[in-house]
Amino acid sequence: MRTEEKLYTLRYKKDDKSHLAIKDVNTCLECTAKYGEPQPCVSICPANVFSWQNNRIVIGYENCVECGASRIACPYENIDWNYPRFGKGIALRYA
Amino acid sequence: MLDYDIVVVGAGPAGSAAALKAASEGKKVLVIERGPEPGSKNVSGAMIRKDYVTSVFGEDMPFERNVETIKLSLYNGNKPVNIEFHPRGLVTTGRLKFDKWLSSVSEKAGAMVIPKTTALKLNWENGVAKSLTTDRGEVSAKSFVLAEGVNSLVSMESGIKGDWTPENSVQAVKMVYSIKKSDLNTLFDLPDDNTGMSWRMITSDPLIAGFMYTYKDSLAVGIGSPIKELIDRKIRPEKLLDDFLAMTGIAEKVKGYSLREYSAKIIPEGGFPDINVAKGNVYLCGDAIGLVDPLTFDGITPAIASGTLAGEAAVYNYDKEIYRYNLMKNPEISKIAKERKLETDFMTGNKAGEYINMVSSMLEGWASGDLMGIRNTMVSNYRNLIPDLMTFVMRMR
Ligand SMILES: Cc1cc2nc3c(=O)[nH]c(=O)nc-3n(C[C@H](O)[C@H](O)[C@H](O)COP(=O)(O)OP(=O)(O)OC[C@H]3O[C@@H](n4cnc5c(N)ncnc54)[C@H](O)[C@@H]3O)c2cc1C
Ligand code: SF4
Repeated sequence: MRTEEKLYTLRYKKDDKSHLAIKDVNTCLECTAKYGEPQPCVSICPANVFSWQNNRIVIGYENCVECGASRIACPYENIDWNYPRFGKGIALRYA
Repeated sequence: MLDYDIVVVGAGPAGSAAALKAASEGKKVLVIERGPEPGSKNVSGAMIRKDYVTSVFGEDMPFERNVETIKLSLYNGNKPVNIEFHPRGLVTTGRLKFDKWLSSVSEKAGAMVIPKTTALKLNWENGVAKSLTTDRGEVSAKSFVLAEGVNSLVSMESGIKGDWTPENSVQAVKMVYSIKKSDLNTLFDLPDDNTGMSWRMITSDPLIAGFMYTYKDSLAVGIGSPIKELIDRKIRPEKLLDDFLAMTGIAEKVKGYSLREYSAKIIPEGGFPDINVAKGNVYLCGDAIGLVDPLTFDGITPAIASGTLAGEAAVYNYDKEIYRYNLMKNPEISKIAKERKLETDFMTGNKAGEYINMVSSMLEGWASGDLMGIRNTMVSNYRNLIPDLMTFVMRMR
């Protein structure tokens, strides 16, 4: 089963504002030179939130399952990691 | 500005225990929870100790099934070595129902719970926290409990603790399959709808702690694996879970049943006692100070134990050394503190691999009649491995 299909099982309320951001795009270039692809954030994320497109990390924050791993996996602490606002984001039922 | 005696961040087991304690002592308590309802952001197995929870929160705890059997499998390649126990007092539960119930008990004791609200930061004056800023406004209090779980952003923002690192944290992913009661009973040989079995697995390469728990009409499966190892080897956690399900034969069992929910959460592996637990009038508890065992996944008991102590510390405004001392002398918490070293060896050395190899070579030796071989394995490993292995197996119960 593809990750996207797994994510379809989740109830989700989208916050208009992204709760995740890259602090400095140049750091991602440095990271890619050192760690190669997939970068640590791309490979640790169970929800395919990060992808490497045109030499930068693109964030699909609306897929985020709020596990916390990407914040810790980033070797440069380059992810500004917050919670979605006002109770938005995922709403689990059976976990 | 709203004003309370005590504000608790997080309505998980630690936060609800703190709120219950403080409200029972007559304090005016507010609990801030970021989820749409308590439990909706939380992930566990979960297998929990019913008697312990009941001793703090009272009767009527919602649960899925009584765990009558636990099978522990140590995988060396695809061949597991199995150990089976019959535990007492363990039940399975899902976090939404469980956390809602815990929170409702704290409300009955007088606490006020506000969901859909995210705590952002504490505002300090001369080392004393005066108020808490949330995404819906500010609230002041005499003391605060941070029961925010593993992603403890407010504690970190206040400089009370640092973040986890890839070396001391585990990525966990979980899936729940819908399987109707009668099918579940047949699949796992369960006599009735209230009886369940749990299966815990450990593999050495890569290091995975896996679980399979029977709920009433569904099956929960998941794995945890050290973040460092996953990143170094560029292993995707959800792919690792799929492979794991195939290897253990669970994939075959759930074939044709629909996936009900997918989730993930990190698990801290380091923490108490090597961590700051308080600052001024602010007390941390539960996963925020790493009170969970990443191999057995027992985190709810120590969350409740530490939450109760944090609630008490907030009521009496204990000095942080007194709070630390109280944590240390609590048996549920000191157990984790004492086992840190074993845990670290498991995570960073390859102890898990050594155990599994030892057990399987012993049993193979036995099966082939090579009793000298067993003796050599025992003698060469006894001093360091067997006591640890026994501790580990005991913890699994
Ligand atoms: C896959 C998996 C399986 C597990 N299995 C088991 C098991 O079988 N048995 C067991 O005992 N333990 C298990 N655990 C561990 C257990 O889940 C944790 O140890 C336990 O939940 C910790 O409780 P807590 O109250 O400290 O934190 P949490 O349960 O994480 O609660 C924290 C609460 O705070 C809220 N919050 C966080 N930040 C904010 C904020 N800024 N503002 C407002 N609210 C906030 C969260 O939404 C959440 O409700 C498992 C964990 C995982 C990941
Ligand atoms: S928190 Fe988890 S799901 Fe969200 S982006 Fe980070 S790794 Fe992906």
